[in-house]
Parts: sequence; structure tokens; C-alpha cells
Amino acid sequence: MELSMLWVNYPYVISIILFSMGCLCILTQHNLIKKVIGINIMETGIFLFYVAVGNIKGGVPPIYDPNLPEGILYVNPLVDVLILTGIVVSFSVTAFALAIIVKLYYFYGTVYAPNIIRMR
Amino acid sequence: MDYLWETLPFLLILVILLACFIMPLFARWKKEVAPYITLVTIVITFGISIVLAYRVAGGEVISYAVAGWPPPWGIEILIDELSAMMLVLLTASSLFIAIFSFHSLHTEIPDQATGWYYTLYLLTLAAMMGLVISNDLFNVYVMVEVVGIGACGMVVAKGEKLSTEATLRYLMLATLGSGFLLFGIGFLYQITGNLNFAYVAAELARVHDQYPFLIWATMSFFTVGMGVKAALFPMHIWLPDAHSSAPSPSSAMLSGLVVKVYIVTLIKLYFVVFGFELFTETYMRYLVLFLASGAILGGSFFAFVQLDLKRRLAYSTVAQIGYIFLGFGLGTVWGITAGLLHIIIHALMKVCLFLSAGAIYYQTGNKKVTHFSGLGYKMPIVMASFTIASLSMVGIPLFGGFITKYGLALGSLEANNPYFIILIVLSGLLNAAYYFPIIWQAYFTSGHDITMTMDAVPKTMLVPIVLMAVGIIYMGIFPGDILFFLEHFVVRFL
Repeated sequence: MELSMLWVNYPYVISIILFSMGCLCILTQHNLIKKVIGINIMETGIFLFYVAVGNIKGGVPPIYDPNLPEGILYVNPLVDVLILTGIVVSFSVTAFALAIIVKLYYFYGTVYAPNIIRMR
Repeated sequence: MDYLWETLPFLLILVILLACFIMPLFARWKKEVAPYITLVTIVITFGISIVLAYRVAGGEVISYAVAGWPPPWGIEILIDELSAMMLVLLTASSLFIAIFSFHSLHTEIPDQATGWYYTLYLLTLAAMMGLVISNDLFNVYVMVEVVGIGACGMVVAKGEKLSTEATLRYLMLATLGSGFLLFGIGFLYQITGNLNFAYVAAELARVHDQYPFLIWATMSFFTVGMGVKAALFPMHIWLPDAHSSAPSPSSAMLSGLVVKVYIVTLIKLYFVVFGFELFTETYMRYLVLFLASGAILGGSFFAFVQLDLKRRLAYSTVAQIGYIFLGFGLGTVWGITAGLLHIIIHALMKVCLFLSAGAIYYQTGNKKVTHFSGLGYKMPIVMASFTIASLSMVGIPLFGGFITKYGLALGSLEANNPYFIILIVLSGLLNAAYYFPIIWQAYFTSGHDITMTMDAVPKTMLVPIVLMAVGIIYMGIFPGDILFFLEHFVVRFL
């Protein structure tokens, strides 16, 4: 396990960093909107990880082309399709969370979590 | 006709989704029809689940390739003993909850939301059924998300300050959990290149020596991700607020069923995908055992200090989740079977208790457990059912809860770990300490001038409660068939 592996596989490292940042954001931020942004950062990290899993160095997009030379590598399309679903899910969760925050804002007049707890 | 017979597992979910998507039409223009459509749909799926369970009981494992693509490429639906049992449990319990919500729903949620509530109800049910029968990792993720959003919607439907706040917390933590789950699935795909449970398992058995850390990370990601959603002890903080502030039918659904399908999925990931050896080798079994012990004690202690009835029931769910995980952690045939059996029995007990709490609130408007004096004579049928469910929670013989406690005790003897018997007995006493005062108050503190009146709640609310209580007693006296059925599932993976 050399450290240079980290440098070669830098998308994984970045995805882990994004995921941890997102988690930290969700758990520690007091502003509810920032929590939702945290969700999005976390999911972006996961999406990056998936796309990095499917990528092949020197691969071409997975569309059949008879002019390409024999034995060329295609990028794995399955993970991209999976992530398309993941993006839809993340989008709907974000929309739902924002709708609930709007409702909370009507009730309490603030989106700052400690204020809401104090007012309860 | 043969074709229809083949596609039965898929039809199961399709019927509910169809009803779910036409429901907004009725919600908009003919609100009073919505409950009837819900009822008919659930009855149809209940029939299909019974047929499927009958086929599975005949020794068949039903597999169906969605859209005709065979397993390594397409999505596979697999109905084994555990899935079949869960299907019957889900449809039967949600049928009773739907009957209960007939005349009680409009008292708890805003009037214009009643039609839309059934959309959410059916969506959550469909996703739960999809979750227990799917045999594909990514399909599991999608279904988990749908269950999560549907369950959040069922809590927020009440439209009050508290439930809105609880929903946001639930949604945040559920999303965090499914993020962990998705990352874990990514790891597994990277290791094995497959998404189907069986293919991933076969590949893992071959290569697991090469990736010790990655497999350990994957397993802990799954444990945390599903643990947050299934409210395993230190990750349960969203549960009491969400379950106690929701409308009563939602509370029953959430506490009885939604939490359970995550456990069923987690147990499939542990035993089908990773296999029992990896589960033990990565020390994940001991972690589960440790967390489950914490859940049993912590949940009971927290429940003991709550004065709001629904909050007390919600914390009791945390403790009971601990029993289920304790069975898995013990890792013996009896332990795991008892854990799986507790999924059914706890669903029956918690649905009965939450529906009783809803009925008590409907008649008297009481939420505090200190105001129940003489209630046993004001609503005798509801309180009798409540008492049966409570006795079962404590683990009195002849009631369902006793069977699982007995099974867990046998399991801990099998695992050479008799200390867990002390834990089980202790938690039984704790359960008694927070359920018996309610019953004592209801029956024995009303003074001398007792007048007996029948419950003043609609019959549609009484029937599900009574049937659930009958189910608890049935499970306590004749648990043999279902135990045998589940044991078939367990011995295949040990």
C-alpha cells in the first residue's frame, strides 16, 4: 500500500473527502438550508465515486462504432445509469426537504435550528 | 392465464402502484371513495401474497426476471420464506391499519389531505413490498429511498409544528443512512462487478481474502446506513419524535412495519450477500450483539421515564428492535429464528398498541399515561386488547412475546453465552415496569362508583385492534408452523 496509489486514484480520494464533508455538514450545521446543501455535497461525492468506478483509462464512450480499432476498451455504462437514478432520488429528497423547511419557516419564522428548539 | 401466474410477484407491486397513481384523481374530486379503493387494492395484494406464501410453503423459491432479462443483467425478484412471510405480514397489517383509518383519519390530519394520505400509504406499502422481494442491490437502494420519502410524508401529513420538525430530522438522518447504503453498494459493485445478491455472494466467496479492509468498510457502511433507518440504539434519535407526533395510523405503520423491512433487508445483506462466516470474521456480529444489548436496556430505560403514551410506545420500539438484532447477533439457529419471529410478533403488538393509543385519544383526548384512571371501564374492548399486547410485550406465557423471549434464551444457551438470559429477563421486568402502571391505573384506581360503558368509538376502529390482539394470542399458542417456516430460511445460511 504505497501513498502514490492515492495520487493515481485521486477521484476516489476526492469522493471520500466530499462524502465526509457532506456528512459533517448534515450533522453539525445549525442552519437548515446548509443541512440540505450538506445532503447534496454528500450525494455528489457518492456520484463521483460511482462514475470513477465505471471509468477506464483510455476507454471510449460505450457506443458501438465499426470504425474503431479492434480490442478498444469501452467505459462501463451501467454505473452511469445507476447514478442517473441516484440523481433523481437526490433531487426529490432535496425538493421535499426544502418544502418542509418552508413549512417550518411559516411556523417559526426562522431556519436556524437552535432558535426553533428554543421556541418549541 | 399461465403468463399471469408467472408474473404474479410483479403484479403484486404493480396493482398497488396503479391504485396509488390514480388516487390523486379521487383525492381531488371524490375524496370519500379513496379509502374504499385503498381497501380493495390491499385485499387483492393480500390474496396474491397468500397464494405466493402457499407456493413457497410447498418448497418452491419463486424467482422472476423483470422485463425478461435474466439475473446477471436484469433485476431479479426472489421470494423465499422470509420474503413470503413479510409479504403476508405487510399486507395483513396494512389492511387492518387502513380499516382503522376509515373513521379516525379525518380527526388527525387536515381535511383536504385525507385523499392524498392514501396515496402516500399505498406508495409506502408498495415500496416496502418491493424492498422485501427484490434480489438486486441497486433496486434495494431505490426502494429504500421510496420507503423513506413515503414514511416522511406520512409523518408530515399531520401538518402540526411538532410533526413537521420531526419529519425534517427523520428525512435528514434517513438520507444520511441511504447515502451510506449507496456508498456500500458502490464498494460491493467495485469488488464484484455484480448487483444481483446471488452473483455478488458467489464472487465475494471467491475474492474476499484480497480485500479485507474494503469488505470491513462495506459491512460497517451497511450497518450504519440501515442501522440509522432501522433505529438501532445509538442511531435511534429520530424515532421517538417521528413516531409519536405522527397520526396514529402512520405511527402504527412506521413502528410496526417500516422499521422492520429495513431489518429484513439488512439481514439479507448480512446472510445472503456476505454470508455468515464473513459476518463473524469481520466482528460485525459482536458489534450487532453489543448495540442490541444497548438497545434493549437503553430503550427500556428511556421508555420508563416518558409520560406521553405514544412516546413511551416509540421508545419501546427501540428496545424491541434490540431483541431482533440480539437474535441475529447470537448467530445460532434458535437465535436468528426467534429474531425473525419477533419481527412478526412485534409488528402485531406495536400495531395493536398504537391503534389502541389512537382509539383512546379519539374517545377521551388523553395522551398522558397519568390520566388513564378508570379507562378499563370506559373503553373495555380497547383496554382489553391493550392489556393483551402489553402482557405480550412483557413476555407472559400464552402470549406471542413469550415465544421470542424463550427462543432468544434458547439461542443464547446454544451460543454458550448464558449472560444474555439475564439481559432478557431484566428487560422483561423493565417492560413490566412501564406497561403495568398503565394497566393498573386503567382497571384498579377508579374508586367505588364504577359504571361500565362500552367503547364510544366506531366499529371500524375496534375490529382491527381486536383482531391484532387475537393474532398475538394465536402466535403465543400455535407458533410452530411459522417457526418451522422461518427455520427453513435460517438453516440455509448457517
